[in-house]
Amino acid sequence: MICLHKPGGAIAMAAALLLSGCASLSGDGGFKAAAAVSEQRTGAPASVAGRLPQNDDDGRALAAVIEQKLAQPLTANDAVHIALLNNRGLQATYWSLGIAEADLVQAGRLQNPVLDFKRSHGGGALEIERTLTFNLLGIITAPMAGRIEGRRYEQSKLLVANEAVRVALDTRRAWVAAVAASQSADYAQQVEASAQASAELAQRMRDAGNWSAMDVAREQAYHAQTSADVNAARKGAVMAREKLTRLMGLAGVQAAYKLPGHLPDLPAVPSELADIEQVAVNERLDIQAAKLDVAHTASTLGLTKTTRFINVLDLGLVANSEGATNTRGYEIALEIPLFDWGSTRVARAEATYMQAANMLAQTAINARSEARESYADYRASYDLARHYRDQVLPARKKLADETLLRYNGMLMSVFELLADAREQASAVRGYIAAQQDFWTAQANLEAALGGRLPAQTIHQESKQGDQP
Amino acid sequence: MTTRRSFLSGAALIGAGMVTKAGAASLPEAPVQSSSTTAPPLAPPNGRPYNPVVTLNGWTLPWRMKDGVKEFHLVAEPVVREIAPGMTANLWGYNGQSPGPTIEVVEGDRVRIFVTNKLPEHTSVHWHGQLLPNGMDGVTGLTQPGIKPGKTFVYEFVARNAGTFMYHPHADEMAQMAMGMMGFWITHPKNPKQHAVDRDFVFLISAYDIEPGSYTPKINTMTDFNLWTFNSRAFPGIDPMVVRKDDRVRVRVGNLTMTNHPIHLHGHTFEVTGTDGGWVKPSARWPEVTTDIAVGQMRAIEFVADAPGDWAFHCHKSHHTMNAMGHDVPTMIGVDHKGVAAKINKLVPGYMVMGDKGGSMGDMRMPLPENTLPMMSGDGPFGGLEMGGMFTTMKVREGLARNDYKDPGWYQHPKGTVAYEWTGETPPAPRAPGVPEVPGPKPAADALNIKRDGGGHQHH
Repeated sequence: MICLHKPGGAIAMAAALLLSGCASLSGDGGFKAAAAVSEQRTGAPASVAGRLPQNDDDGRALAAVIEQKLAQPLTANDAVHIALLNNRGLQATYWSLGIAEADLVQAGRLQNPVLDFKRSHGGGALEIERTLTFNLLGIITAPMAGRIEGRRYEQSKLLVANEAVRVALDTRRAWVAAVAASQSADYAQQVEASAQASAELAQRMRDAGNWSAMDVAREQAYHAQTSADVNAARKGAVMAREKLTRLMGLAGVQAAYKLPGHLPDLPAVPSELADIEQVAVNERLDIQAAKLDVAHTASTLGLTKTTRFINVLDLGLVANSEGATNTRGYEIALEIPLFDWGSTRVARAEATYMQAANMLAQTAINARSEARESYADYRASYDLARHYRDQVLPARKKLADETLLRYNGMLMSVFELLADAREQASAVRGYIAAQQDFWTAQANLEAALGGRLPAQTIHQESKQGDQP
Repeated sequence: MTTRRSFLSGAALIGAGMVTKAGAASLPEAPVQSSSTTAPPLAPPNGRPYNPVVTLNGWTLPWRMKDGVKEFHLVAEPVVREIAPGMTANLWGYNGQSPGPTIEVVEGDRVRIFVTNKLPEHTSVHWHGQLLPNGMDGVTGLTQPGIKPGKTFVYEFVARNAGTFMYHPHADEMAQMAMGMMGFWITHPKNPKQHAVDRDFVFLISAYDIEPGSYTPKINTMTDFNLWTFNSRAFPGIDPMVVRKDDRVRVRVGNLTMTNHPIHLHGHTFEVTGTDGGWVKPSARWPEVTTDIAVGQMRAIEFVADAPGDWAFHCHKSHHTMNAMGHDVPTMIGVDHKGVAAKINKLVPGYMVMGDKGGSMGDMRMPLPENTLPMMSGDGPFGGLEMGGMFTTMKVREGLARNDYKDPGWYQHPKGTVAYEWTGETPPAPRAPGVPEVPGPKPAADALNIKRDGGGHQHH
C-alpha cells in the first residue's frame, strides 16, 4: 500500500482507470454462451427469453411455455425442455456464471483509490490527516489476474453447461422410469381385474353348488394378492412421477401433468456408432473442462518460470468441478527475492501441471470406458427389448390364442383361460422393464458421448414415433 | 416322389427279403389300402367258399393260393389314418391302414403269412385265439425273435377252428398297440351254411390319446384316453351299418382298449352267439340289448333286423360317445355369468360363456385347435346328434339288394310314428303324498330355476 499525501498521483490513477476499462460485465453473466452449449447437447433451449429470467414478465413467459407443453401428455423431450427452463437448482447454477464473470471483471479492474480523511482534536489541538491510497500492486498483477479469471470463467461456462446436460439426462431417465412405472401399474390393474373376475365367478360357482369353499378361497386368495400388487405398483408409480416432477421444478396445478400411457416403440434398428471413444473424447464437456485446466496450469507454470517471484496458485481450478458453490480463489503476492530465488515455487507449479495433466488423462480414460460400456449396454438392451417384442410376447399371444381354442373345444375351463391371461403378466412386465432399460440405456449412452446421438440416428427413431 | 434315398431303402428291403428262405420271387403281393371308407365284402376268388364279412371302415386282405396254401403278406408300417373328417392321426398299422386288413380264411385252410417290418423297431404278430404250433404264436423272446426293421418273417399254420379272432403285435405291445397295430381275423366254417347270416359286420374297438392340436397318440396313457374308436374311426367318421329288413345280422366286435365297452343296440334284442373261444350253443344264449365286451375279448352278436329305422349303435359309457374333452373342466351349470362375462371378455377377447346351462354346445361352431374333432357333433334329420367316439347307426330298410351297403340316407318315418310337441294344456304333474311344495336346500333350488331361453349361446 502506498500512501500519497499529495494529489500528485493522478497520473497513476489515470493509468489504473485505463486498465480497468478493458473488462466489463456482459450483462447476462455469460449465460448465453453456456446456454448455447447446453442447447446443442440437450436439444432444448435453457431459457424462454434468451436470458436468465429476472423479472415478472420472464416468469409469465416461462409459465406460458410450460402450460402449453403440459396441455398434452408429456413427451420426454418436453420434460427435458421444462427441466432446463424450470429446474431451480439448475437456475442457481446458471447464476454462478454471473458470479464467475463478476470475479473476472473484478480481477481486471484496479481497486478504487481510497481517500482517507482523518480529523482529530484533543488538548486544544486540531489535526487533519488526508491520505489517498492506491493499490499499486494491483496495477502490476492485473493482467495476470485477468488471464487466470478468464480461464476460470471459460471453465465455469463448460461446467455449467455440463450441469445442464446432467439435469437433462436425469430428467430423461426419470421420464422413462415414470412412464414405465405408470404402465406397470396399469397392467397390474388389468391383472387384478382378471383375478377379480375369477374370484367373482368362483363365488357364483359356489352359490350354484358346483364348487367347494376351498376352490373359492384359492381364487379369492389370488385376487387379494393381485390387489396388493396393484397398491405396490401404484406406490412405485407415484415415487417415479414425483422424481420427474422435482426435476422439472413443477408444483401446484402444474404437477398434475399427464404422461403417455406407454413407452415409445423400439426403433426399427439400433444406432450403429463407429468410433464412439473418439466421439466421447471430442464432445464431452468434462474433458473439455479438464483440457482447459491443463492449459491453465501450463500457462501458470510458464508464468512462474518467467517471474519466479510471483506466486500464482489456483487451487480452485485444480480442485475441479464440484460445481459453482466451491470456494476457489487465488492469491498473488509480490516478494522481494532476498532469500528464496523461487526454485520451490517452480517445482510446485510443475507438480500442479502434472497433476492436472494426469487428471485429464484419467478423465479421458473414464470417458472412453463409459462410452464403450454404455454403447454395449445400449445394444444389449435393444436386443433384449426386441427379443421380448418379437419372441416372448408373440409366443405368449400364441399361447393365449391356443388356450382360447381349447376353451372353445371344452378342453379347458374358463379358469384356465383366466389363469393364462394372468400368466401373460410376467411377459408383459418383462417387456415394459426391457423397454425402460433400453430407453434409459440410450439416455446413458448420450450422456457418455456428451450429447444427443448423431442426427441420422435421431431421424431414424423419430420415424418410429415419439422419441423420449 | 421317388428319391434316390427312398429308392435305395426300397432296394435294401428287397435285398433283405431275398436272403430269407422264402426268397423274393415267392413273396406274395402286399396290397395297400389308402381309403378309410368301408370296402365291399371280398368274395373269395378261389379256395373254399364262404360268406365274406364287411369290415366297418376297413377292408379284407386279398391272398394268393400257392400249392394249396393261402398266402398273405402283411407289411407293418407307419400310416396316416383319418379318424374322422377334419382329423388325421400318425399311427402304425398294416398295409396302409390302421387297423390292418381283415384276414378271412376257412376252417382247415393252411395259411402262410409273410410279415414284413417297415417300422423303426422290431415287431411280431400274435394270432389272437388261434390254435397253432407254439413257435407260430408270435411272442417275441418267448416263441421267436423280434422281426427286425427291414426283415420279413413267415408264419404258417392251419386255421383249425372257425370263429372270430384278431391279430396284434406281441413285441413292445404297449407302444405298438397304442399306435394302432391290430387287425381282425375271421375263420369261416367249412360249411358256408353253418351259422350263415345275411350281413356280417366286424370291427375292433381301440382308444387313443391324441392331444388336440397334435397327430401322434400319447402311447404312455393308460386310462385317460380322449378318442374312442371303432376301427380307429370316431363318430361322425364311422360308417352306418346298412341292413335289409328281416336280414339276419351279425356284428363281431373285438376290444383292444384298456377298458370294457358295453355295446348297445337300439330297437332290437340280440344274442351273443360267439366269443373268441368259439360259438355259443343256442341253449346257452340269452337276449340282450347291451353286451359288455371286456378287454382283449371278441363278441359276436346276432339278431334279425325286423324294425325299420335308423337305430343308434354305440358304447354305453357316455364319455365314450364323445371326442376329446377336458376332464378337469368344472361344471358351470347354473352359474350366473352376468357382469363377469363382460369383464372376462375385456381380458380375453373372443371369450363366450359356455356350460352355464349344461354341456351342450348347441349349434355353436367355434374355432378349435388344429386336427381336433369337436367334443360332440354330427347332424341328423332333426338337428345336432351331439355325439362322438363310439357311435354309429344300424340302418334297417326294406327292399335293399343283397349286397347293397350304400347309405340309404335318413329314415322316412311313417306318419304318426315320431315323438311330437304337446301343444294342448299341460296337466299338473302328480306329486307323491307328503312331498313339500318347495324342495331341497337353496343351491339345488337355484340349479333347478335355470331359465332356458332356447337361444343357445348366441346372445353372448
